[in-house]
Amino acid sequence: MTATSDRLSRWTPAMFAAALLNLGLGLLLPVLGVGWPAQPATGPISLAVVHLLTIGWLTLLMFGALFQFVPVITSRKLPSQALPLVTLLGVESGLVLMVGGFCALGHWAWVARLLPVGGGLVIVALLVGGATLLVPLAAKRPVPLSARFVLAGLGFLLLTILLGLSFALALTVPATGPALAPLLTDGVGYHVLAGLGGWFTLTAIGVSYELLPMFMLAPHERGALGAAVLWAGVGGFLAALTAGLAGSVWPVGWLAALEQVGRLGIVLALGLYLADVVRLYRSRRRRQIELHNRAAIGAFVALGLAMLLAVGAVVTDRLAALAPSLVLLVLLGWLSGLGLTQLYKVVAFLSWLSRYGGRLGRGPVPRVQDLVNEPRSVGFFVLYFASVAVAAGAAAFELSDVIRAALACALLAVLLLAREYTRAWRAVYARGAPAAPARSPTLPGPQGVRR
Amino acid sequence: MTKAAPLTLDVRPELRAGGEPFPRIMLAAASLEPGQALRLLATFEPIPLYAVLGRKGLAHRAIHHGEADWEILFTPETSAPPAPPPPRATSGSHSGDGSGWPEPKQSLDNRGLQPPEPMVRILSALEMLAAGEVIEAWNDREPLLLYPELEARGAAIQVRQGTTGVRLLIRRGA
Repeated sequence: MTATSDRLSRWTPAMFAAALLNLGLGLLLPVLGVGWPAQPATGPISLAVVHLLTIGWLTLLMFGALFQFVPVITSRKLPSQALPLVTLLGVESGLVLMVGGFCALGHWAWVARLLPVGGGLVIVALLVGGATLLVPLAAKRPVPLSARFVLAGLGFLLLTILLGLSFALALTVPATGPALAPLLTDGVGYHVLAGLGGWFTLTAIGVSYELLPMFMLAPHERGALGAAVLWAGVGGFLAALTAGLAGSVWPVGWLAALEQVGRLGIVLALGLYLADVVRLYRSRRRRQIELHNRAAIGAFVALGLAMLLAVGAVVTDRLAALAPSLVLLVLLGWLSGLGLTQLYKVVAFLSWLSRYGGRLGRGPVPRVQDLVNEPRSVGFFVLYFASVAVAAGAAAFELSDVIRAALACALLAVLLLAREYTRAWRAVYARGAPAAPARSPTLPGPQGVRR
Repeated sequence: MTKAAPLTLDVRPELRAGGEPFPRIMLAAASLEPGQALRLLATFEPIPLYAVLGRKGLAHRAIHHGEADWEILFTPETSAPPAPPPPRATSGSHSGDGSGWPEPKQSLDNRGLQPPEPMVRILSALEMLAAGEVIEAWNDREPLLLYPELEARGAAIQVRQGTTGVRLLIRRGA
């Protein structure tokens, strides 16, 4: 039995489920010795695994969340509840073709052409999804800060997928080689920066600026600091990416300088963001922090560590050697960590809303908290973040077996968390919980105070 | 203007004994001289009280001394208590100018409550109204998830953004 109603974005639960399946697969394959660390990090099989995680897990997760929350933050409906299904099916089928194409690279040239075909399908699906989100986002005035981050993120998503498609064409269609060759030598780093940074990180910041204050009762307005994060972040990623890409075709001094300025902007933006997150936690009016936001601290720590590692690696010129650690910290620690922790609350909230929304005020209903079992789940989050930390540390020393063991533990944590999401979705715990007593809706008495 | 020393009210013994000090606090707040502050000692942070006393023109500053030991200083704001906020109609079906609606039967202060608690309280109060009756509610933020529920129940809502929160007027449908 599942919970569905028109209170929910219709395909969001399916997108979350598909995203979690892709995450599980993306962790299982390296554990089994498929792709990095058993094989070269830039080899085609490793790239297939990375795209399972970035497109299959994080992009579907982001779009699923945005289809649900953009109407809420803009108070405007999506133009269609069917277009998200186009996004889901297009991304999944395109991803399958891309994975097939990656695996055929260097073996079967014709099969490898599935790579740009699949990539094209993913692009069309994401353009449909992006356009669906743009309708409410563009209509809302003034544009809320969180929506500005999402708009910027969607812009960088476009850059990311166009770069990716260029690589796919250069690798599989020989005729395009000469035109796109310069991109292949220098461009991969910019593809990663645009994707993990511009698209995922800026969007995640926007979503966090919506979800964190909501459930911790902290001030929603982020003021000058929030605006500084936005402009330093957007300007930084834009400068670093455009100057870097232009510089790889036209190497002149001022472009290299602009790229450095852009990198500084990124570091500044992320530093200010983390400072703002600390301010947000401190200014909360809710003393007790719920598990999903306690666990999210692990994701913020991962972002901070990734930033320090990136700066250190650039300064000491060891970026290539430390890139796997960096990608693990950003991809699994920061982005996946934030995603897994916020899903814990979002799934319970959506399940509660769709199950009990129509009964509110007409009889006793369980509380949202009754749909989860926080004490049981604490250990799963600890296991997840500890595993990612160990994997990132081991990656710096190329300890392949340790990395695989740590990823196996992370996979176990994800499976245990996925079981908790399913239980929240099916309201398994609520069946055992006593129904909340109907409260007298008066001015705050003691029942509203002791939390 | 010479300011009187703050009036100190220690409700910790009463709270530990399981008592309900809310009426005493309100009496103390009402007895303050002009410009006088209220110093409240409690076993927890009385968040909903902030909104209640805030509407009486008292700003708050909380100090957490330790486990179950809070000191909150309520000081009169230098300016007059906030006037009713200017109307700001929102778009869509949940807009309006408040004209032609009866006086609210009841007022809910939902500020400081975690979602979805404000929505639960509003819908509970709504179900107790007769057709055409109105309730007022103060929320921290615009209750976007409430709109579909009101629509499903045939209720109308007017939203005004104030300086200390969002004021909602909700009328039960026929």
